[in-house]
Amino acid sequence: MAGSDGHGEHSHGGVGKYMMVFFALCGLTTLSFFTYSRFWPFQDTPVVGWVFMMAVSCTKAMLVICFFMHLIWEANWKYVLTIPASLMSVFLVVALVPDVGQRTRYYAEERALYASDYEPKEEMTEAGSEATGDKPAGASGAAESGGDAGSSDAGEAGAGDDGKAAEAAAKADAT
Amino acid sequence: MTHDTHGGHGDDHGHGHIKLAYQPGLPLANGKLCLWLFLSTEIMFFAGLIGAYVVLRFGVPAGTWPHPHDVHLVEPIGAFNTFVLICSSVTIVLGLEAAKQNQSSIARLWLFATFVLGSVFLGVKMYEYNSKFAHGIYPSTPRSLIYDKADLNYASAVRQRLNDLATELGKKASAEAGEGQAAVPSEDQKRCEDLRDYLVFWAEQTAARSEDPGRRQAALNSLAWFIYPREGHKPEKFLAAETKRMEREKTSIAAELALVSGEQKALDAKKAELEKRDAAEVAEELAATVKARAVADERALTASERLRRVDGWLTLVPALDKLEHGINDAYHSLRLPIHIPSGNMWASTYFLLTGFHAIHVAVGLLMFVLMLRYRLDASNAHLLENGGLYWHFVDLVWIFLFPLLYLF
Repeated sequence: MAGSDGHGEHSHGGVGKYMMVFFALCGLTTLSFFTYSRFWPFQDTPVVGWVFMMAVSCTKAMLVICFFMHLIWEANWKYVLTIPASLMSVFLVVALVPDVGQRTRYYAEERALYASDYEPKEEMTEAGSEATGDKPAGASGAAESGGDAGSSDAGEAGAGDDGKAAEAAAKADAT
Repeated sequence: MTHDTHGGHGDDHGHGHIKLAYQPGLPLANGKLCLWLFLSTEIMFFAGLIGAYVVLRFGVPAGTWPHPHDVHLVEPIGAFNTFVLICSSVTIVLGLEAAKQNQSSIARLWLFATFVLGSVFLGVKMYEYNSKFAHGIYPSTPRSLIYDKADLNYASAVRQRLNDLATELGKKASAEAGEGQAAVPSEDQKRCEDLRDYLVFWAEQTAARSEDPGRRQAALNSLAWFIYPREGHKPEKFLAAETKRMEREKTSIAAELALVSGEQKALDAKKAELEKRDAAEVAEELAATVKARAVADERALTASERLRRVDGWLTLVPALDKLEHGINDAYHSLRLPIHIPSGNMWASTYFLLTGFHAIHVAVGLLMFVLMLRYRLDASNAHLLENGGLYWHFVDLVWIFLFPLLYLF
């Protein structure tokens, strides 16, 4: 096994080359870590960051495969082993997309309600949401509408049928 | 194929003097070939796992995959581990270089360095797992505290847990107090009861009785937020509105209580007056008064019970608001159910991916230990080469796992 190559080529590798690859890998890691920092310019569109990180990861993978795993210096058998396996891996993921990856895309409203953390669209947790007065002691929502005129009297109405008044006030706020 | 053994024009055709040279199918050693075949199956193995993660992660209802901080993933730690693995890849490759040049002691040193770096990686991984376990993030029940949805099921699980804890602590307190003496509830027990009677009660009642779906959900979300806050999910406006509402309710209950106590006094006076007169004459009226008094008592009782709940809420919620990382973090023994949207799916994929990767690292470490027994000179360089190939592959997997798990 001495020599370990049918190529008779001894010049490949070398500490200098490995160190260069090492620094490149460290730099690339810092680069993908950069997307996490607040200086990353595409904060609003995460897709850009994802694509960027995957590109960086693929580059790192190629560096490791080519130099550390010596694949760049191997004969053509390397393509037989790596390319089909990589292609099959991609197919595997693609095959999962329609059934698993898009499983929530066509949820019925009913089903979406039971999906993870679905929140009703017309969420009214601030002003006016209390207008329906579901607790026995009348609580009015109009007072929450940020110091609008007429909110104080609805608030002080206390027990009784101020629910209706508050509802009316909330409607007025909405329009 | 240096000699043509087929053609009819060979010298020794038909004379049995064929010289056959050993010709391997591929220009590489059997061990290395086998390792590469193994690695190509490993590519498929991890592609399956990572692919499953990717489609599951991007298939969840929009925006519900947990933010890394929600599940205590620390990006710098992940980056550090990436760095450690890259370093270990370099050390093993330098070991191989040394072995090829017959410097077996240097090769051994590099191999040992690789072993140490691999151990550091596993140690950091262990620390990371531990920080998840401490917060009740496990891949499955019964230990996992994760609920995907803050719904009534979640609220009742919280109530159940608080109830069990309060009962348990109450038993302990009465056992300590001894026979016949009144048990003094401990602070923990009181806390459990307060949370159950004020916070959970309020959330459940609102969720069950409010006609506004937004408010129903907001109450449950608030409960979940107090227990296990997630960045950017504080229901600030809702809580401010609820506080105002509770304060108003308090004044209205106080007014009702004043009204009722006035009624009670009036009824008492009437009763006393009626009792002075002829019993037979006023029997009916007296009975009606007594009945009215009972109704008033009932009203007073309900009102004061409501006042207790409202008062409790109004003192409890501002106190909870001051907790920096929620109830579970402030009081570790509580271990209340936590709400992380898609948290269970996250935990399953995270522990599966990192777990399988960690197993591969552990196997690599075992391999290094076995290799340290050999003289790592040029004749044994193939050991380092094949071990190195495997180790680089493990590094490769982590290169993809780090951004996918920590940064996406």
